[in-house]
Amino acid sequence: MDVLFDGLVDAIGLLLSGDRDTWSIIALTLRVSLTATAIAILIGLPLGALVALARFPGRRIVLAAANTGMGMPPVVVGLFVTVLLWRSGPLGGLGLLYTPTAMIIAQSAIATPVVVALVAAALQQVDPDFRVQMRALGATPVRAFAALLGEARLPLLAGAMAAFGAVVSEVGAAQMVGGNLAGQTRVLTTAAVLATSQGQFSLSIAFGLILLLIAFGVNLSLTLVQQRRTVPR
Amino acid sequence: MSAGIGCRDLRVHAGGRELLSVPELHVASGRTLAVLGPNGAGKSTLLRALGLLSSHRVSGRIVLDGRPATRPLMRQALAAVLQRPILRRGTVADNVISGLRFRGMSRREARTEAWPWIEALGLESLVGRDARSLSIGEAQRVSITRALAAGPRVLLLDEPFSGLDSTTRADLLADLRAALTGQPTATILVTHDRQEALALAEDTALLIDGRIRQHGSTAEVLDHPSDAGTARLLGYTNLLPPALTGRAHTLVARPEHTQLVLDPSDQTDDVRGTLRRTVALGSATRVDVDTSAGALTCLHLGDVLATELPPIGSDVRVRIRHARSLTS
Repeated sequence: MDVLFDGLVDAIGLLLSGDRDTWSIIALTLRVSLTATAIAILIGLPLGALVALARFPGRRIVLAAANTGMGMPPVVVGLFVTVLLWRSGPLGGLGLLYTPTAMIIAQSAIATPVVVALVAAALQQVDPDFRVQMRALGATPVRAFAALLGEARLPLLAGAMAAFGAVVSEVGAAQMVGGNLAGQTRVLTTAAVLATSQGQFSLSIAFGLILLLIAFGVNLSLTLVQQRRTVPR
Repeated sequence: MSAGIGCRDLRVHAGGRELLSVPELHVASGRTLAVLGPNGAGKSTLLRALGLLSSHRVSGRIVLDGRPATRPLMRQALAAVLQRPILRRGTVADNVISGLRFRGMSRREARTEAWPWIEALGLESLVGRDARSLSIGEAQRVSITRALAAGPRVLLLDEPFSGLDSTTRADLLADLRAALTGQPTATILVTHDRQEALALAEDTALLIDGRIRQHGSTAEVLDHPSDAGTARLLGYTNLLPPALTGRAHTLVARPEHTQLVLDPSDQTDDVRGTLRRTVALGSATRVDVDTSAGALTCLHLGDVLATELPPIGSDVRVRIRHARSLTS
C-alpha cells in the first residue's frame, strides 16, 4: 500500500511541480495518441461506412479483416512498421524510425481496424431505409449520410473512445518503433515500463496514474458529447 | 404532359430478373392514384423507381411535370412516407420540419411553415416529445405530417397504414384524406387494402407480378375485375366457370354475395356442391363448399344457428346473389 500511496503522491508532485520531463512525456503521449486516433477516424470512418452501406465483392472479407484487426497484438503491428521503416526496408529512406511520426503510423494502424469495425457495426444498426427516407424528404446524398452519422452518434463515439483507448494504453508498438528515447519518443506507457524495470515503482505508478487520468479526461469529454440529452423524454 | 408524375417504359431489374414493367403511368397534380396489389407484386419497387430512390437497375423515363426527372428536380418535388415510420433523434417538431430544413429553410421559418400541418394532423400536444418515445401510430402520424409539411408536388405513400390498429388507422386515413383535399399534389398510395384505395384515391391501378393489369377510376376498377388474378385481389374469390353455371363466361363473386340455400322449399336453379366445413367468425359464419369446379366460400352475415346448417358432407345448394362476368 505504501508503494501505491507514494506513487499517488509522486504523481501529484510531478504534475504540480511542473516537471519538464513529465510534461513533455504527457504532451507527446497526447500528441501521438490523439493524432493516431484522428488519422484512424479519417481512414476508418469512410471505410467502415463503405463496408456497412455499399455492396461489393469481398465486403465481408474486409469486415472480417477489420474485426480480426481489432484483436491484433500491438507488438505485431510494431514489428511490421519497424520492418517497413528499417533503414534497408521499403520506406527506410524516409528516416522515420525512432521518431514520433513512426509511433503515429504504428498507432494509426492499430486503431484503424477498430474504427472500421465499430463504424460498420454502428451504421448497420440504423434502419436500412434511413438514408432512403432522408433522400425522400429532399436530402442530398451527403446530407442523408450526415443525418445517418447523427443517428448513429452514440455507437460512433463509442468507436472513437475504443480507438483512443487502444492506442493510449499500448506499449509494444510505441517501444518498438519509437525506441523510448528520452525527450524524443518517450510516452507514458514506455516511461512506466522503463521506470518499473529500474525498480522505480512509485515513479512508474505515477506515470500509470497520469495515464489513467488522461484516458479518463478524453473519454469523459467524448461521453459527455455522446450522452448529451437534447430532448426531455 | 401535364403537371404531375409519371413514367414511360419503366422496367426494374434485380439479380437478372425483371421485377417490374410499366409501359405508361401518369398521376396528375391534385389527384391520388392507389396502386393495389398482393405482397411481392412490385408495389414498393414501382414507388421507389418513380421517386428515383431505387437501388435496383431501372430503365425507362420518369417524367416530372412534363420534363424528364433528374435527381435535383425530384429532390425539390418529392416527399415519401415509408411503411415503417423512420424518425430521427430529436423531438417531434424537429422531425416534422426536417423536410423543410433539407430544402434549405431556417429552423424558425420551417417551424412557422409546418405549424398548420401539425394542427391539421393533431400533433400539437406531441411537438416537444422525444420521437423515440412515440407509439407506432403516433410515429406514423409524425411521418405523414413531416411529408405533408415539406409541401411536396409529389407524395409517395408506401403502405403507411399497415401495422396500425384499426382505430388509429381509420383516424389517420380520415385526417390524411382531409389534408390532401385541395392540395396541388400528385399522390401515389401503395396498398393491399381496398378500403384505403376507396378512401383516398380517385384512380386505382392493380399491380400483379410487376405488371399493371387494370387502371381506371377507383370505383370502376374495384368493382370490375378483368381476370381471375385481379378478381382474387379485389375480393372476388369465388370463381365459377361456365361448366358450373351454364353461362358463356366465367363468373366471379365475393363470399358475402355467395350463400348457402338453407330453405329446402326454395327450388331456384343454384350451384350444387358438398358442404366441407363451417366456421363461426363472430359477426358472420363462413361456409366452405366443394363443387365439381373447385371450392366456394360463402359468408353468412349475422348469427346462423348451428342447427340451421346441414351436416358436414351433405349435398347443398349455393346461391350467387351478385357476380361479375370475366370477359378475358
